[in-house]
Amino acid sequence: MSSQISKVIKFEIARQLKKPAFWAATLLLPLLIGGIYLVSFLSSRSVNQTPTLDENTKIAVTDDAGIFSENAPFLVKITPEEGRALVKSGELDLYYYLPKDFAETKKAEVYHISEGLDVFNNDGNILKSLLLEDVSAHTSELDRLAMTGNYEIIDHKLNQNGEDENALGKAIIPFAIGIVFFMFVALCGNRFLLNVVEEKENRISEMILTSISAKHLIVGKIFALLVLGIIQIAALVIPILILVYLNRDVGPVNQILSSVEIDPLSIILGLVLFAASAIFYAGTCTFVGSLTSTAKDASSFIGPAIILLVFPLYFMQMFMATDPNLAVQVMTYFPFTAPIALMLRSGFGTISTPEYIIGIAVVSISAAIMVRAAVLTFQKNAINFGSPKLRLKRKH
Amino acid sequence: MENIVEVKHFKIGFGDKTVIKDLSFNIKKGEIFGLLGSNGSGKTTTIRALLGFYEPSSGEILVDGKRYNPENAEVAVGYLPEERGLYRKEKVLDTMRYFGELKGLKDPLAWSRKYLKRVGLSDKENEKLEKLSGGQQQKIQLGITIMGDPKLLILDEPTKGFDPMNRRLLMDIIEEHHQKGAAIIMITHYMDEVERLCDRALLLKNGVAKAYGTIAEIKKAYNNKSLEDIFVEVYGGENE
Repeated sequence: MSSQISKVIKFEIARQLKKPAFWAATLLLPLLIGGIYLVSFLSSRSVNQTPTLDENTKIAVTDDAGIFSENAPFLVKITPEEGRALVKSGELDLYYYLPKDFAETKKAEVYHISEGLDVFNNDGNILKSLLLEDVSAHTSELDRLAMTGNYEIIDHKLNQNGEDENALGKAIIPFAIGIVFFMFVALCGNRFLLNVVEEKENRISEMILTSISAKHLIVGKIFALLVLGIIQIAALVIPILILVYLNRDVGPVNQILSSVEIDPLSIILGLVLFAASAIFYAGTCTFVGSLTSTAKDASSFIGPAIILLVFPLYFMQMFMATDPNLAVQVMTYFPFTAPIALMLRSGFGTISTPEYIIGIAVVSISAAIMVRAAVLTFQKNAINFGSPKLRLKRKH
Repeated sequence: MENIVEVKHFKIGFGDKTVIKDLSFNIKKGEIFGLLGSNGSGKTTTIRALLGFYEPSSGEILVDGKRYNPENAEVAVGYLPEERGLYRKEKVLDTMRYFGELKGLKDPLAWSRKYLKRVGLSDKENEKLEKLSGGQQQKIQLGITIMGDPKLLILDEPTKGFDPMNRRLLMDIIEEHHQKGAAIIMITHYMDEVERLCDRALLLKNGVAKAYGTIAEIKKAYNNKSLEDIFVEVYGGENE
C-alpha cells in the first residue's frame, strides 16, 4: 500500500476516533439492541407462562415413556417414522415422540412441516400444555420432570418431501452477515458521504491535491472509513455475542445455537459478499460526495441509492421461492439491489452456488467501478466549490 | 537560468467561453514571479491548469518539463490557493502534522512547533482551527504551503486581509524561501509587494498577456510609471 494512502488512513481514523459523535453512535446502538433484547426476553417469558393451543392443530403423541394417562385423546401407538409420514401427508400438524428412556435422556422429539424461520416457535410449550391438561392422574417423578419443562425437544422440521429441513440453522449465518451489512450502512453511510464533501466545503481539496493525488486520497479515505465501520460493528457485535454466550442454555437461544449449520463455503462466500457490498456502498457514497459540493446536496443525491439497497426487503416473500421469478433474478444481479438480494436468497437457501458466485462477482466488479468513478469524479470536481455540476477538464 | 515553469501557447476555455488565449511565458528557477491581473483575468485558471486541475485546450503548461502530477512529481510544489481552508474541527498541530507527513517531512511535529513559534501561534497548537481568527488560520495555511521547502511556491493573494505587521512577517517568510532557492509565483493586488519582491511579472487581461518581463522592463514599456499606475492604466476601463 502506498505510504501516502497509509498516512491518510492514519489521519482519518485518528480524527474520527476523537469525535464524541463516533462513540455516541457506536455505544448507543448496542444499548438500544440490549433494550430491545430485554423487552423481547421479558415478553417471551410472559408468553411461556401462558401457552395457548390452536384448536385446529392436529396433534398426536406416542408415549413410550408412559407419562400420559392411557385415555388421553391425542395418544397414538405408532413409530416415529409413521408419525413423520403422517406429518408429511398433512394428516398431522405436530407429532411428538416420548421415548422409553425419556427419564434418563430427557429428550423428546417433535415432527412438523417447516413453515420458514419460526425461531420462537412454542413446540415445547405445546407439549407442556398437553402434560398440564393430563396432570390429574399422575404425580410421579417422571411426570414432574416432564411438566417442569426441564427437557430437550429435538425439533424435526420437515420439508414437503418429509425430510429433515434445518432452514433456520442454514439461514443464521447468511442473515447474520446481512444484519451486520445493514448496521454498516446505517452507521457508516453518512460518514462516507460527508468525509468527501468536507474536503470541498472546507476548501481543502485544492491545497491537499498538490501534495497527494486524488486516487491516493480517496482510496485512503475509503479504507479508513471501512476500518472505522469494522470497529463500530465489533463494538456492537461483541456484546451481543457475550449476551448469547451467557444465555446459551436459555430455550430459544439454545435451540438456535444447536441448529446453526456451519458450511465453510457459505461462510467464505458470505464474507466476500459482505466485503464487496461494503466497498460498493462506500464507493457509491464517496462518488456522490465527490459529485456534489455541499452536505445538503449529497444527502438528497444518496437517497435513491439507499432506497434501491433496501428494495429487495419489500419483496422478501418472493426471495423464499426456490424457483425465482424475473423480478428476483433482476434484483439478484442489479448492482444496487444485489447485496441484499443475494444475502436474502442465501439465507433462504434459494440460490445455487454458481449463481451466488456470479452475483458476488457482479457486486465486486461494481465496487471496483464505483471506487474508480469516485476517484475520477473527485479529480474532476475537487475544485467545484459552488454548484453540483461536473467539471470535466481535469486529468492526472 | 533554467526554467521551472514553461507555458507555451496555452489556451483554455469552459463551454463557449475562452478564458486564456494563446498565453506563453516562463518562470526561472529561484525567481519571484508576479502573476498580475484584475479579477477574472485568468490568473487562477492558469495556476489550476499548471497544477493539473484543468487540462489545456491546446498548448503546453509544464512544471520542470512535465505536466504536474503529485503522484510522481520530482519537484515539490507548495500552493496557497485563493479559495483556501482547513479541517475546521481539527487541532492546529494535528492538521500541520498530517500535511507535514503527506509532504514527506521527517519530523513534522518539530517543524510545525518551530513555525508556530515563528508566527506567534505557539499557544494555539492544541486549539481547533475553527477557534482561530481568519488571519491566524491564514498563517497556518501559509505554514502548510511552505512545508518541506518546495522548489516552486505558488501564493494566491497570500497577504489578503493581513494587518501591516503580519503582512511584513509573511513577506519575510516568503523572502527566506526565495533565499533558499525556491521559485515563487505571487498573485497579488498589492503592487508594492510586487515592486519589493518580484524579479519579473506578467500582466494578464482577459486571458491575454498585456505586459511581460522584468519589473524595470514593464515600467519602461509604460513610460516609467509606477506599477500601480500601470495597473490602473491597463485595467482602468473595466469598471466603467
